[in-house]
Amino acid sequence: MQTKIDQFIQHLRKEWQLYVLLAPTIIWFVVFLYKPMYGLQIAFKDYSIFRGVAGSPWVGFEHFHTLFGSDQFLRALRNTFMISALSLCFGFPIPIFLAIMFNEITNQVFKRTSQTIVYLPHFISTVIISGIVITAFSPSAGIVNSFLSWIGVDPIYFLIKPEWFRPIYIGSGIWQEAGFSSIVFLAAIAGVSPSLYESAVVDGASRWQMVWKITIPSILPTIIIMLIIRIGNLLEVGFELIILLYQPATFETADVINTFIYRQGLQGAQYDLAAAAGLFNAIVAFILVMTANTISRRFSRTSLW
Amino acid sequence: MSGLNLKKIVKRYGAVEVVHGIDLEVKSQEFVVLVGPSGCGKSTTLRMIAGLEEISGGELTIGDRVVNDVAPKDRDVAMVFQNYALYPHLNVADNIAFGLKIRKASKEKIKESVAEVAEILGLTEYLDRRPADLSGGQRQRVAMGRAIVRHPEVFLFDEPLSNLDAKLRTQMRAEIKRLHKRLGVTSVYVTHDQVEAMTLADRIVVMRDGHIEQVGTPMELFNNPVNTFVAGFIGSPPMNQIAGVANDKGDKVVAFIDDVEITLPVLDELKGASKLDVIIGIRPEHVSIEPGEGLSAIPVSLDLIETLGSEALLHTSVAGKTFVLKVETRGEIEHLEKVNTIYVDPSMIKVFDAKTGNVFGLAQA
Repeated sequence: MQTKIDQFIQHLRKEWQLYVLLAPTIIWFVVFLYKPMYGLQIAFKDYSIFRGVAGSPWVGFEHFHTLFGSDQFLRALRNTFMISALSLCFGFPIPIFLAIMFNEITNQVFKRTSQTIVYLPHFISTVIISGIVITAFSPSAGIVNSFLSWIGVDPIYFLIKPEWFRPIYIGSGIWQEAGFSSIVFLAAIAGVSPSLYESAVVDGASRWQMVWKITIPSILPTIIIMLIIRIGNLLEVGFELIILLYQPATFETADVINTFIYRQGLQGAQYDLAAAAGLFNAIVAFILVMTANTISRRFSRTSLW
Repeated sequence: MSGLNLKKIVKRYGAVEVVHGIDLEVKSQEFVVLVGPSGCGKSTTLRMIAGLEEISGGELTIGDRVVNDVAPKDRDVAMVFQNYALYPHLNVADNIAFGLKIRKASKEKIKESVAEVAEILGLTEYLDRRPADLSGGQRQRVAMGRAIVRHPEVFLFDEPLSNLDAKLRTQMRAEIKRLHKRLGVTSVYVTHDQVEAMTLADRIVVMRDGHIEQVGTPMELFNNPVNTFVAGFIGSPPMNQIAGVANDKGDKVVAFIDDVEITLPVLDELKGASKLDVIIGIRPEHVSIEPGEGLSAIPVSLDLIETLGSEALLHTSVAGKTFVLKVETRGEIEHLEKVNTIYVDPSMIKVFDAKTGNVFGLAQA
């Protein structure tokens, strides 16, 4: 009787070209995602770079106690959830609306031009984006404050006021990514059979009814999949832009887990504490994505796995 | 029920004309099938009737209304699509009710109509299922249900059976025919399958390259095709068409295929023919393998026998040209293996002009 290993080796011999194509991805996963997992143990150790990972003594959950006893970490946790939840609420539906609007545009020239305009910010580096944001919201020469002074409002120091950080961060995120994110929904809409619309036209449906009764339900599986992925990344706030935009004055609303890890780990050299925070982040993300997937599978028959 | 009238209907895409001014009258309660090869304009014509394509020229009347510029929803037509066009996120009941809901019918009316249609189509037990959980035949029935629930004046079918397997197609064909008898709704049906056309139609419209080649009942088209195209398109297997040279020998007109002589029917247009290039059309069913009075003999060489059960197709060659005949097997095929001569009634032979492809003797038919 042939064992599974024999079967695999036989398959490998027969289809070796496919395995060669697969190899770079597997190697990438192993080198950059699985091998570093060995280092995760420092979250439970009193890590010293001189003693190394294996030589450092175990300290159990001490770093987690420290984290949850730290106001800074709890603030970062709260900010992460706030920024993520607000980004999800405001940022997630906009690409869907954009895709539906693009789909409804019949003038091809206008359609292509507007698509290019909204896709373009995606290709701009985060550093440039932060530069644009800083310049736009500058109290002296920024376009926003120029407009405010034109309508008789005193200049606002947007980037040092904690209450403005989240709207600016989320708004710039939407501006940068909404267009590009709409591509996946446009592709889903393109996959809807034209005969569904034709049938609805014969039945007497208006364009608005077709959007509500055909387009949105038809792309719902894609929306759900994207939502699950998004929920899985809920704690992965794009911290590059935050690092570039925040300053101690706005830490109250701007400091998130990743910026906390960056400051503790790289700037403060507390690698073990940063590893504990990172591990906590990963476990919460894992639970979130599992929960979202299970709920989705149960209620909508759509799931990632 | 309303009839349909197409007067000089033209369809152009930019400078390219794909339907060239066709005329067709579909009587009230009639079942008309548009048939032709891919790209002949049959689906475009149907979509113009539905209002899914603009009419570039001519006039389309449904009942007594000119509907060229009338929106699809106001034409009172219902269409069954090739891929069923069922909404995957709705169950069978909601799919059937879609048109009624759009038209804001009352809940009681919707419930009543859906139940009635489900009963007619045998879908009552599937009303809660989604299309993905149905078989091809059931999906097709739901698509029909969507069309009939609105009680439209005209049904339009765009190759509705082409996604089904052969057995289911035969079954659904009969159901469509039964449904038409029961409801009596004027129907226009598009297909490229001539068997569907023959079995379903009151009248068949054969189209080619945006033109109507012939309109008639299935038997008219089978017995009296106006040209080689219709002769080749209608009938399965199609009519044998062999090039020959016609000569009037005084007492009869004959055609020579190389040195094989075939007696042709008596036709005014062939009188006095001399070295006239013709195409001889003989239906596979109109050939016998046994001699008989008035039958002319044609020597053949047998290539292949395809057994169909009660019948067999004999692939032979006449003077080197392929010739198929359909004969009864009477339960065995051994006697067919010895066939070397076939017998044809000259009156059943069609003679076409080799230059134009048009049949001779149309006036006499």
